[in-house]
Amino acid sequence: MLFPRMNILSMHLLNAVRRSVFQLAVQDGMKRGVFLVMPSKVMMHRTLFLSACLNKNTAPDTTEKLDLDGWKHVMRTAVQEESSEGTSDSEEDSRVAATRELIEMWRLSGKAVPENISEEQLKILMDSPTKSSKKKYLQFLAKKENMKKAAKEKKKQKAAKTEISPEAQDYVAGELKNTFLLKFWSRSEDAIYNWRAAQAMIFGQPLVFDMDYENCMSRREMENAVKQLMESEGINRRGKDPFHLHYCNLKTGGLYHKELIRRYGDAWDNLFVTVTEKAYNEIFPRDQIVYLTADSPNIMKKFEHDKIYIIGSLVDKSIQTGVSLARAKRLNLATARLPLDKYLQWEEGAKNLTLNQMMSILLTLKDTGDWKDALQFVPRRKHAGFMEMSLSKDQIDAWKKTKMHERTVGKEKSHRSFAGNSSRWQVQKKWWEDVS
Amino acid sequence: MIFSIRTSNCVLQTLLKNYGMFCPMLRPQQLPTTFGCFLFTTPYQRAKSVDPKALHPAAAMWHSKEREEGKGERRSGKDWSSPRPFNLFAAGASKKRAVLHDAFSSGEQPIISSKKMTLSPPERPLSAEEWEKMMGDFVGTKKFEDCMFEQMIVHNSPVDVAKSLLAAVAKRDGDIGYGLLVKYLVLCVSQKQTKEIYDIHDIMKVRFKTLDTSGSSLLIKGLSDSQRWREALILLEEMKKVIIPSKGNYGDCIRGALANQEISIACKLFHEMLGKDVTPKLETMQIFFDTGKCINDASFKSELISILNYLRDNQVYPGEAFMQSIKQWFESIPGENWKGNLTPVKNSGQCPSCEKFLESINLSAEEYDILKNKIIKDVIQGTDTFRKTTPQELEVFQTFVSQRPPFDIVIDGLNVARVCHKNNPSQTLLDVVNHLAQQNLRLLVLGRKHMLNGSRQWNRNNMAAMQKKADFFFTENVSEDDPFLLYATLHSGSHCKFVTRDLLRDHKACLSDSLTRRLFFKWQRGHQIVLSNYTPGKRIKFEPVLNFDTIVQTTGDTWHIPYDDNLLERSSYEVPTKWLCLQQK
Repeated sequence: MLFPRMNILSMHLLNAVRRSVFQLAVQDGMKRGVFLVMPSKVMMHRTLFLSACLNKNTAPDTTEKLDLDGWKHVMRTAVQEESSEGTSDSEEDSRVAATRELIEMWRLSGKAVPENISEEQLKILMDSPTKSSKKKYLQFLAKKENMKKAAKEKKKQKAAKTEISPEAQDYVAGELKNTFLLKFWSRSEDAIYNWRAAQAMIFGQPLVFDMDYENCMSRREMENAVKQLMESEGINRRGKDPFHLHYCNLKTGGLYHKELIRRYGDAWDNLFVTVTEKAYNEIFPRDQIVYLTADSPNIMKKFEHDKIYIIGSLVDKSIQTGVSLARAKRLNLATARLPLDKYLQWEEGAKNLTLNQMMSILLTLKDTGDWKDALQFVPRRKHAGFMEMSLSKDQIDAWKKTKMHERTVGKEKSHRSFAGNSSRWQVQKKWWEDVS
Repeated sequence: MIFSIRTSNCVLQTLLKNYGMFCPMLRPQQLPTTFGCFLFTTPYQRAKSVDPKALHPAAAMWHSKEREEGKGERRSGKDWSSPRPFNLFAAGASKKRAVLHDAFSSGEQPIISSKKMTLSPPERPLSAEEWEKMMGDFVGTKKFEDCMFEQMIVHNSPVDVAKSLLAAVAKRDGDIGYGLLVKYLVLCVSQKQTKEIYDIHDIMKVRFKTLDTSGSSLLIKGLSDSQRWREALILLEEMKKVIIPSKGNYGDCIRGALANQEISIACKLFHEMLGKDVTPKLETMQIFFDTGKCINDASFKSELISILNYLRDNQVYPGEAFMQSIKQWFESIPGENWKGNLTPVKNSGQCPSCEKFLESINLSAEEYDILKNKIIKDVIQGTDTFRKTTPQELEVFQTFVSQRPPFDIVIDGLNVARVCHKNNPSQTLLDVVNHLAQQNLRLLVLGRKHMLNGSRQWNRNNMAAMQKKADFFFTENVSEDDPFLLYATLHSGSHCKFVTRDLLRDHKACLSDSLTRRLFFKWQRGHQIVLSNYTPGKRIKFEPVLNFDTIVQTTGDTWHIPYDDNLLERSSYEVPTKWLCLQQK
């Protein structure tokens, strides 16, 4: 039974009531109370009885305010946020200001954007051509910012944990011990590594990084490449028997050079690495050079100690097939690729590895010559384990077939190439025979 | 509310399933939960009917089976199916192939990712205290209000429920964040709550200096359908300061302008978006034609004709609904007496309904030259000639081709040889070469040098027998042979065809501009012969080459417009098979 007093109900509120009534009818016939209050502070109290059975959960006596549009009033009376107005009216400045405002609004709407953005980053952002590239870059910056924050937080917590009470400190300092060595600092470690690196500079086997890929890379890829190079150099320095690294074709003042100097800082001039603008074919005899590239038709059988291996320092996230092979072809150099398929049950991902992975693999090969040992540096997500060398070819084929089956069943399949693909399962004598 | 939507949905679904009728609609499940892209776009720029598969995979399979049978029946009567024998570039071909070539046809249901529903929005507005209580029970990483609003959007809750939450938040904090307002706006726009949209618009204008992209897009969408549609235009201007508005933003504004008979504004916006290289949605262009039915105005007519020319120039094909709008518009032009028929087109290129022949697929002389030079520049040489071949090899090949009279057919040896897995590849190639040589055609076979080494696969005798019948060119083992195939065919002239099953998509992608890509695709459709059927020692069958171009075209008193069938998924390297034929009686 309803006792409405229409004369003071706005149509809108009536709608609200109707809707809820309708829903009650549809739902479960529970008894509910809807209390509506007008700004004029006239109290309305209505109770609905839709069924004979009373629900014990609702207390019909409670009087509540349910003012649905009140928030609008709250919002309107709130003051507009003050934002710094750029005084200059030039086109460029207004664009910068507008971009900053857009970022701020994106942040308010809960998108992944950084809180602080530097002038340099803003310039990069303005130069990105599309909306999606802008968003991607902002997302990247936001991620970076979050990681920095998290690291800071961790540091704080660690500092709080390791704070030793003063009396305990005295105790530690007061205790005298007999030791054969002073505490072994990382300084001494560095000295040892540097001696080794210096030795390698004189007697070591050369390993060349070909730095001639500046114009094949985007800004992000370039930064990643420099990071990987630094990792490789570090891995090499810590190795038992380091290579003598050469950075060839490194243009002074080029993007690569600038980025390396920016990342290394003062350490750049103290590196035990040969950096040169010359090409590798000017420094080494051509018949000793082997260019390592995943596109090469030749499989590397074993590591040879009298060869000079070349790694193209290229990060190609958009897999650029044949770029490094083309370079080797131009200079008529020998090429080779790692025997990944021979030793690993490859599952997914491209067969081009990162520079630091290559470095680790080559160092291990140089020390032990054991492929299994060396290929442990291939990311585990890319393969299902090592090949049992005793397996017959048929068994391998059968395994591959089941793999294919597992992969295809229960998935929406992509369009296959028109040429049937079962040829993929035939044992390939030569890699190119099925490519047409 | 939800209940009623659901039921109507079910009814529509069944209607769809049984009659294949098309009706665009929103399902509550389909409402996007991300707010940056509250623009309903579909891939390939066409309206897609709701996929029954999404709900009943089994039903979908039965449905397609039924369609197949239906096709068979229809074929015996009226030829509604795509022209047979099946063409490589006909819409739906790749889908068919995928089914045919499936070694393991998966009859399993697609795995539906079940998202954990942590919250379900209440059915009625709650008071602030009740919301507080709910908030207290909520455990999650994100803020309660955000989660709740997202769920409301998913469930398409009544706006009053959302309002009560906003009221609760306002009571607690004395303010409501921009993010929540945008989420609330999503709800209002999807339910077309015009009054609420006005209010939010006014509040946002007062409170915030600028809006973000999703906020602006939603407001534009909401305001365009209302009396205050002109304010959507102002918002669009604001957007332009920082980024290029999307096709959805432009589309909404154009819709608003056309709904209010502001033809000149709509046309201006349309040209502006074309100028900014924004591809208009098919729906946007459709609205122009729908509006055109009630307007008899010469300048607007020329606008619509220019839209048809845009479709032609960019090889865009209308969907079924758009096609119907075009048809109705033509038939509504007073005094011109247009008559539209839907028809497939025979392989001969003659339209069954008006007996006229469609445009030839052959390129004009200058188009041919452009394509030839681009192929050499972009595909063969690219940034580095060494990537696909070597300069020396290219030179050797060019002299080889130029010293011989033009060829009639160029064969991709390796591709053809691998057509039949059971057969020896050299035997397959020999059969095909013999078959073609019988017709007195000048043949060129392209291969790689390893074919000459004499192995079990590449039998020396077979190779020798072939070399008597055809010219051969063997590239280096590390070179690509496809670019040579393209060059040799183009060099021989427009009568020359090539044989391969390769779709040549990667080579098409090497071309630098879209115009050349379209030229390449046209040339490919007219010059590629596909070995469709090969049984060793018995039959060799080639797919016929289409000799008409599938493109929007006119002869003045006729229009032929190819269109996309709603139920056939077309890949980007295929063309539609159904046509709208318009003629003036």
